Amino acid sequence: MLSKRLLIVSGKGGVGKSAVAAGIAMFAQRRGLRVLAIEMGSEGGLSSHFGTGSLDFESREVRPGLHALRIVRSEALLEYLSLQLRLPGMGRFGAVARAFDALATAAPAVREIITIGKVLWEVREDRWDLVVADAPPTGQIGSYLRAPLSIGELVPTGRIGGQAEWMRETLADPDRTMLALVTLPEELPATETADALAWVAQADVVPPPLVIANRVLPELSDKSTPDGTVGEMAGLHRALVSEQKRWLKEVPPHISLPFLFGLFTPGEVAAKLSEQLEAAS
Amino acid sequence: MTRSILVAGAGGVGKTTVAAAIAVAAARRGLRTLVVTVDPARRLADALGLESLGDEPAPHEDEPMLWAAMLDSTASWRAVAMRHADPDVATRLADNEFFQAAAEHFPASQAYAAADQAATFVQARAWDLVVVDTPPSGGGIDFFASPGQMADLVGGRLLRWITGGPLPGRRFFFDRAARPMLRIAGSILGSDLLERVSEFLLDLRTTYDGVSQRGREIERVLREASIVVVTTADPFPVAEAVRFYRELPRLASTPAAVLFNRALPESWVGPRIPDSISPELAQNAERWSAEALRQKDVREEFSSRYAAQVATLPWTPDPPTDLNGLMRLIAEDGVVVPWERFGIA
Repeated sequence: MLSKRLLIVSGKGGVGKSAVAAGIAMFAQRRGLRVLAIEMGSEGGLSSHFGTGSLDFESREVRPGLHALRIVRSEALLEYLSLQLRLPGMGRFGAVARAFDALATAAPAVREIITIGKVLWEVREDRWDLVVADAPPTGQIGSYLRAPLSIGELVPTGRIGGQAEWMRETLADPDRTMLALVTLPEELPATETADALAWVAQADVVPPPLVIANRVLPELSDKSTPDGTVGEMAGLHRALVSEQKRWLKEVPPHISLPFLFGLFTPGEVAAKLSEQLEAAS
Repeated sequence: MTRSILVAGAGGVGKTTVAAAIAVAAARRGLRTLVVTVDPARRLADALGLESLGDEPAPHEDEPMLWAAMLDSTASWRAVAMRHADPDVATRLADNEFFQAAAEHFPASQAYAAADQAATFVQARAWDLVVVDTPPSGGGIDFFASPGQMADLVGGRLLRWITGGPLPGRRFFFDRAARPMLRIAGSILGSDLLERVSEFLLDLRTTYDGVSQRGREIERVLREASIVVVTTADPFPVAEAVRFYRELPRLASTPAAVLFNRALPESWVGPRIPDSISPELAQNAERWSAEALRQKDVREEFSSRYAAQVATLPWTPDPPTDLNGLMRLIAEDGVVVPWERFGIA
């Protein structure tokens, strides 16, 4: 996992995707890698796990060797126009930026190319050993991963189309890029993950994903059921384990992360997950 | 009159189950009840007899006072166009390649279609109670904010962004050669693309009067509805529940109750651990005790911070998959549905 240059972390809402992304970034940082964590989706998803307040488009060091930024679309757009399309001084062209922003809402793949483009640009710049992207949820991830292809088809002549090729290559390169799908051993997340795996296999825009099951309960080897509360706890535990097993069989994970009993703050959760990832590797 | 209950919350917290349970309980109290769900899990859909249903309400085979319908989550701007634009424009919009893309990029459009359908059922006056399982797209709040957002969008927000000023006419775009910024945008995107997007946006604007009028009707239905927020004690759903409590009083009404699903009994906090049991079971008990305590803290904090009426649903490994199972959630597991707060005696 840490030998890649780009790790895109997605998953159904509520499965702990951002916590796992933060955990991976912290684990890589402890291994001495230069790491950039990127919050692609809703604000605060990733930053709450670092406990450093909200992130900006300008990256900031949140731990020694671990930087983080948040993709702000208007700023990503200006950077895209000036750096990637080499249109100098785009900041002065407020009207062009506005036109673009409107187009980004209405035209297929433009918004996605700007967001994923920023992520891929950071990979290309070679300042980091690993870029960890806390990506949009599984339901939307396809349009981001496919954006370079879509743009290439839609506007092959414009300058934006000319940028699509290296992006497409980076995403598809198994040596550089890995998509991690975080899931839970429950019906709805497992079903959505299975759908996402089928989509990836068919779309062929990223290498085969890594599946990470979160909140997996340990099996109890003691089969006895004492009287009282302790027995009730063992009973619920076993019943949940057997339900989880069913979904783990349905969507077999490459990595299983444990259910974290009694932890609440996002910082605690991410720190614990990062230890577990280290132990699992 | 038709009462309505909107069940809101993050995805995956058991919202659909709760909506179904409330509906079954209401039907068995003698109310003609329609439950409207979005994308239910397979097993629950079977229990509601939704196997072969489309978006038309159909009576339940075994439960005389219960109807069920599924919201069509793909209905979106297409429906808006067909309803509110001239036939020619509607066809042009529906054929436009940006149409689908715009719908995908603007989650409120899906939420709007869902709110529109739900409001139609309430306005039909065919039921005593309509229970709506709201879609979680775009954070769930979209369902409530969508009527206003939609009117704002088709009313030309995009067009104003493009020009940075007043709404342009069609001529503006064909005069592109004289406009350096559109020329630059055209060179980046390919001039063809810019023109097609502009066409689309201008066509879309013709739906404005219809959309804003219907939007006001939908908003009225949403404001008159009772709202139940469903969550678990996990951080993501709780954050969503907090958003509902903060924003719904402005958009609709203050939620009647928050229902914590997957709740552990409070008696599990600090249990007596007998010496006779194995270290493994003792450790297991300590873990679940810690989890029960965490959950209790989350509920208490929520209740005191948002003056919320809190109810719980027990954590069961198998969600109910038949009507009696749903009924038991309400009847036996101690969930008190505050019927009087829903205006139901």
